[in-house]
Amino acid sequence: MTSDLISLTRHALRSSLELKMASRAPVATGRLMLGIRKWYYGMCGFNKLGLMRDDTIEEDSDVKQALSRLPENELNNRVFRIKRALDLNMKQQILPKDQWMKFEEDISYLSPYLNEVIRERKEIEEWTKK
Amino acid sequence: MKGIRGISQLSRRFHVAARTGQSLVQPLAGLKLSPGVAHSYQDVHVTKLPSGLVIASLENYSPASKIGVAVKAGCRYETPENSGVTHVLRLASNLTTKGASAFKICRGVEAVGGSLSVTSSRENMMYTVDCLRDDIDTVMEYLINVTTAPEFRPWEVSDLTPRVKMDKAEAAHSTQMAVIEALHEAAYKNALSNSLYCPDHMVGHIKSEHLHQFVQNNFTSARMALVGLGVDHAVLKQVGEQFLNIRSGAGTTGATAQYRGGETRLASLASLVHSAVVSQSAAAGTGEAVAFSVLQHLLGAGPHVKRGSNATSKLIQGVAKATADPFDVNAFNASYSDSGLFGVYTISQFADAGDVIKAAVAEVKNVADGGVTAADLTRAKAQLKGQYLMSLETSEGFLEALCTQSLTEGSYVPPEEIIKNIDNVSLTDVSNAASKFVSGKKTMASSGNLVNTPFVDEI
Repeated sequence: MTSDLISLTRHALRSSLELKMASRAPVATGRLMLGIRKWYYGMCGFNKLGLMRDDTIEEDSDVKQALSRLPENELNNRVFRIKRALDLNMKQQILPKDQWMKFEEDISYLSPYLNEVIRERKEIEEWTKK
Repeated sequence: MKGIRGISQLSRRFHVAARTGQSLVQPLAGLKLSPGVAHSYQDVHVTKLPSGLVIASLENYSPASKIGVAVKAGCRYETPENSGVTHVLRLASNLTTKGASAFKICRGVEAVGGSLSVTSSRENMMYTVDCLRDDIDTVMEYLINVTTAPEFRPWEVSDLTPRVKMDKAEAAHSTQMAVIEALHEAAYKNALSNSLYCPDHMVGHIKSEHLHQFVQNNFTSARMALVGLGVDHAVLKQVGEQFLNIRSGAGTTGATAQYRGGETRLASLASLVHSAVVSQSAAAGTGEAVAFSVLQHLLGAGPHVKRGSNATSKLIQGVAKATADPFDVNAFNASYSDSGLFGVYTISQFADAGDVIKAAVAEVKNVADGGVTAADLTRAKAQLKGQYLMSLETSEGFLEALCTQSLTEGSYVPPEEIIKNIDNVSLTDVSNAASKFVSGKKTMASSGNLVNTPFVDEI
């Protein structure tokens, strides 16, 4: 918990999945796991509409709070991507292949803020329990 | 059985009552103290660390302790780019820090029954925590977090804007506040002309980066003092060495205040006119400043008897000859590290505002021309001494005095020395001070229905 407190919004934006996998899976099967994850990412299909994973996250109260804390340029990019995806969906089209979101480029921009919001909520619950 | 036990305690009670001539705070006469108890009775200890941090403490054995971190980061150190940052910084004292979230600070301090507050003046900013002696570690942790490791998260800072507006609205209600802020703005070109409150054009525009930069530049070890009341000096010293040594250097030097002497008129429909007429006086800590303080009490610095006739106030007696309507007049005295303001503050009905102001200024001229007796001077000195010593009686007053002394002088000046300085003020010093006011370039700030209020050059 202390490390969460200290490494706040300043730590590098990384996919939370990558971090977890890197700590648990042994190195020998690292490439295999990476391959499976890339395949699964392609299967999900939202990258064909030009969306990132965090654009598709369900907006519960925690996510709404985290979204209100996003810096302005990140928020504008997110709104643009969602708008483009809605437009494509209406036209029953997908983007040309060169414009699909790539697995490497799909950074989890919301997770630092979301983790902080959840941590704060848990802290309040902890104190009110006492 | 209870009655008999009570009787055996009677002798103890009578014995204590008999020792009336013996002070309980000094060691018994003729008693040799062992070297280990050198610090056992109340002494102010001051240590100056190599980084410039001053640590001062007084162990007064009280059940409640107070710790303050004073920083030379008042509003005089604001620049035009971050005008108003100290106001937001005052309100940001409870925001999330690296070691504790805002919620935790609030609940943690409340859980031990303590309090965390921040006050700032034009020169200094003071963060104070107080709590019971046993819980000092907990609140000290929060205090250190707030002063050295604030995060100023952008969304928390922008949530402060309504509170800034509320503060400004409350200050606007107080006419004295408005007049004094206008007076400083008119009197100086820079530094001391900055207002304690965020200017209108900057409300909502002070961002997280401004706060971070201001803290980086001004919250350095050389400009800070760690002061404690009811704490052990060794403990405080350890805390100071470990935690408050993070930012070394002197930070940005503040600009020297340049006096210009101007006038501000705040017209309104109020039937009472508040007006302050001042001139540049002396910097704090100089002998001249003490003379100005004595002059302030000579002329009249507030009532000493409630609902009394203010018989000893020269200003009030002088102005009473000029008008029959209700009024109030006091001498105004403010000293800063490199400059000061001295003059008169009048409150009068709008119809005879001119008469009141002119009569008040004439009274000061009377003192400059030698119209003050030795008895008046003795009385003024006694009043000043009394006011100063009584301000040290409360723990808040003492902590504030200790903080200011640690920041400006880096050491503790005992009250006896201050009393001696006051006693050394002579009649010529006082009349010189009054002449300085009479001949100096005047600054004026007025508020109310100003139809009969003279301009500064008409006084």
